[in-house]
Amino acid sequence: MILSPAERAYLYESLVQKPAIRPGARSDHQFRPLEAKTGFLPNSNGSARIRLNDGSECIISVKSKVVVTRGESSLIEVDIDVPGFRDDSNFVSNLKFSLTNLLITKFPVEYLRLTSKYSFKLFIDCIVISHSSYPLSLISLTSYLALKTTRLPLLTSEVNDEEIEEQPTFSDDWDNAKYIHPTFQPPIFITLGVIGENLLFDPSIEEEQVLENGLILSFYKDKVITPIINMNLATNSNNSNFKGLNQKLIIQSINLCNKYCPAIIKALDTLIEQDDENDDTDNHIF
Amino acid sequence: MEVAEVISITKPSSSRPFEDVDDDNDSDVEMNNTTNQSIVTPGELITDDPIWMKGHGTYFINDKTYSSVAGTVSRVNRLLSVIPIRGRYQPETGDHIVGRITEVGNKRWKVDIGAKQDAVLMLGSVNLPGGILRRKSETDELQMRNFLKEGDLLNAEVQTIFNNGIASLHTRSLKYGKLRNGIFLKVPSSLIIKSKNHAFDLTGNISCVLGVNGYIWLYKTNVNNPTSNNNNNNSNNSNNPSITRLEEESSWEIYSDKNDTTITNSIRSNITRYYNIIKALSYCELGITEQRISMGYEASLAYVNLGSLNDKDAMETICQDIINNEKMRGIN
Amino acid sequence: MSRMELYSPEGLRIDGRRWNELRRFESRINTHPNSCDGSSYVEQGNTKVICMVQGPMEPSSRSQADSAGATIEVNLSVASFSTFERKKRSKSEKRMVEMKATLERTFQQSVMCHLYPRTLISIDIHVLAQDGGLLASMANAVTLALIDAGVAMYDYVSCISVGLHDQTPLLDLNGLEEQDISTLTIGVIGKTEKLALLMLEDKMPLDHLESTLGIAIAATHRIRDLMDDEVRKHGNLRSSKLAKN
Repeated sequence: MILSPAERAYLYESLVQKPAIRPGARSDHQFRPLEAKTGFLPNSNGSARIRLNDGSECIISVKSKVVVTRGESSLIEVDIDVPGFRDDSNFVSNLKFSLTNLLITKFPVEYLRLTSKYSFKLFIDCIVISHSSYPLSLISLTSYLALKTTRLPLLTSEVNDEEIEEQPTFSDDWDNAKYIHPTFQPPIFITLGVIGENLLFDPSIEEEQVLENGLILSFYKDKVITPIINMNLATNSNNSNFKGLNQKLIIQSINLCNKYCPAIIKALDTLIEQDDENDDTDNHIF
Repeated sequence: MEVAEVISITKPSSSRPFEDVDDDNDSDVEMNNTTNQSIVTPGELITDDPIWMKGHGTYFINDKTYSSVAGTVSRVNRLLSVIPIRGRYQPETGDHIVGRITEVGNKRWKVDIGAKQDAVLMLGSVNLPGGILRRKSETDELQMRNFLKEGDLLNAEVQTIFNNGIASLHTRSLKYGKLRNGIFLKVPSSLIIKSKNHAFDLTGNISCVLGVNGYIWLYKTNVNNPTSNNNNNNSNNSNNPSITRLEEESSWEIYSDKNDTTITNSIRSNITRYYNIIKALSYCELGITEQRISMGYEASLAYVNLGSLNDKDAMETICQDIINNEKMRGIN
Repeated sequence: MSRMELYSPEGLRIDGRRWNELRRFESRINTHPNSCDGSSYVEQGNTKVICMVQGPMEPSSRSQADSAGATIEVNLSVASFSTFERKKRSKSEKRMVEMKATLERTFQQSVMCHLYPRTLISIDIHVLAQDGGLLASMANAVTLALIDAGVAMYDYVSCISVGLHDQTPLLDLNGLEEQDISTLTIGVIGKTEKLALLMLEDKMPLDHLESTLGIAIAATHRIRDLMDDEVRKHGNLRSSKLAKN
């Protein structure tokens, strides 16, 4: 996306004001509204879809498989598909690495342990149907919904199977299936744009074009955790404003996330509750 | 802290907005040049009367005319065409549009206008610094990028449509040219309702170029050069500002990339208000007119926090207000 | 695994349908209004497909600019989770390439490409779930998305798969049936008997071909009507919304 010099100048001037005047009049800590839905893929253990007003959209499926724990290097496998980008492109590899890394380091793997020998392995498949701004935060919020609504079949065989040859068995009744863990809360990524002294949550693609820097923070269990990454969020653009990052802003960004992210988690959880209530009435994706 | 201040997450609406409202509207709305309300779909026989000339959106086999798109039938004189409900912008001579330069070529610029093909703007169709009578020279060809370069936004008029469907633009009037002092947004071109005037001033010191192609520019009203010039009522190419004025304006200024230094925060926030109103109209798929933008402005004054206009509910409320307002004034 | 009874003596198939019954067909048009020019979503039984059309537009490379007419490009992506057993699929898989080519050829004919010289029509298809009749569902979704994009077409292209079990044609096969029965996929132009698409990869006795085709054509006409209903419902709603000045 290329803006004209006058457009860039106007946008930059507006965003460095205190408080920033964003094109859609959002306050600096306001996310773009989301539309979300969960549990629409009957063949998956969990599924979620999020769409933004600008048409950006991500669909995620979580599927499980019973594996021998010792034979697996990781119990979580993430795959991301972005149309128009090759799977081995930098763009896709970066997204995939970031999400995998966050989930693997922060996922309480013990929840996936079935027996002394066996575990569930989760396959998290993301399709970014379309995107305009940097999609990592969108993907991670969708994965939050998908993982939180993932249900795994109930184990009916012995937990201690050290001496037993048979594979674990499960209840046939899907109603007995359990969520990963009642208190389980997947980690998420939050994108912040840095411009002047302002930190803008969830920058849109136009805003990305004039940012001085971009920050991606991870948020887990009510607080900011590592990794915290900085990057130029605008891909394929003529952003000439990009520059170094003031360390004070990093501290400030952590404080802001600690303050506002619980609201995001709360909103996501509320949606899950609503989807849970009217479970069978509406199974359409669109 | 309120969750709503940070994020709004909603379920996708399975029922389409305004479904009920429209049902009772159906009977009232009179459409020009159409025989009935219901649409035709591809392959549908429209008429077997050979008297009709086939226009866009139709094809014929053995004197029978069929529709090739889903849309409404339009009969103008003896020309029968089907206007698709959705689709890319179809340029027509005289349209006032906003476009973005995509390529600088040999004596011409290519301009993205949201149509099927980029439009062209010939070097000979723009005003150059030094006045209208100045001859174009080879130096002009070499410094085309100094006038307009990739990414630049301009407003222009469609001068002609070539045989191959490509639109040719011109900016030979003071109301056309490079755009400054504001922001750009895009809506589907089908939502723009053609009218005499696509550039107008709005309350709050804001002006708007409502491109027929769905590209919109919102900017600070230029005090020296108000947009609402009534001498340009003719929708066809009217090139009649006085020459002295052209001379005066045709300095390098018209190709400047610099914004005014005096854009106040209240103007900036007014622009975002209009930005959100147009987004709301587009979200609810209402046709966009100067009048509706103004009515939306009135309706939006109820919202102190402009950021809340991003939410679905607020957008629907604004549009509902506009519709009610129109009903009261007896427009519909 | 023992061979399942695909067609019982009482005339019932494994999912309880009779030989000439279609699966549930649901379609939506204009599902992604903000990200593309035309979009659709089709469910045929448990097969679920999203289709998004961009264009006709300026092609990004000059090689796609054909002065005789529009170039149609299909991009197929089949989700790893679309089958019961998760499986990562490569775009270069032979079956994918074949389906992509078939769709491109079909719509190059059915779209009035000559109206859009030097442009590109790019079609993205996402398969979310597959349970037989994949090619048919994709073609139906493309038809709807093209109509939504306002691209001129001679008529609907409606598609269905049909199999031949012994001597009985079975309409609209599901995934299990498709594994064991010779399958034929056809796409028909509007309410005619003209075929825009035909794909037969298995053996099928010639003397049954005609009856099989006959029932399949009748089924595509039904699919066409179902799609037409959705287009009209959506279209009438939308055209009533625009203000008339």
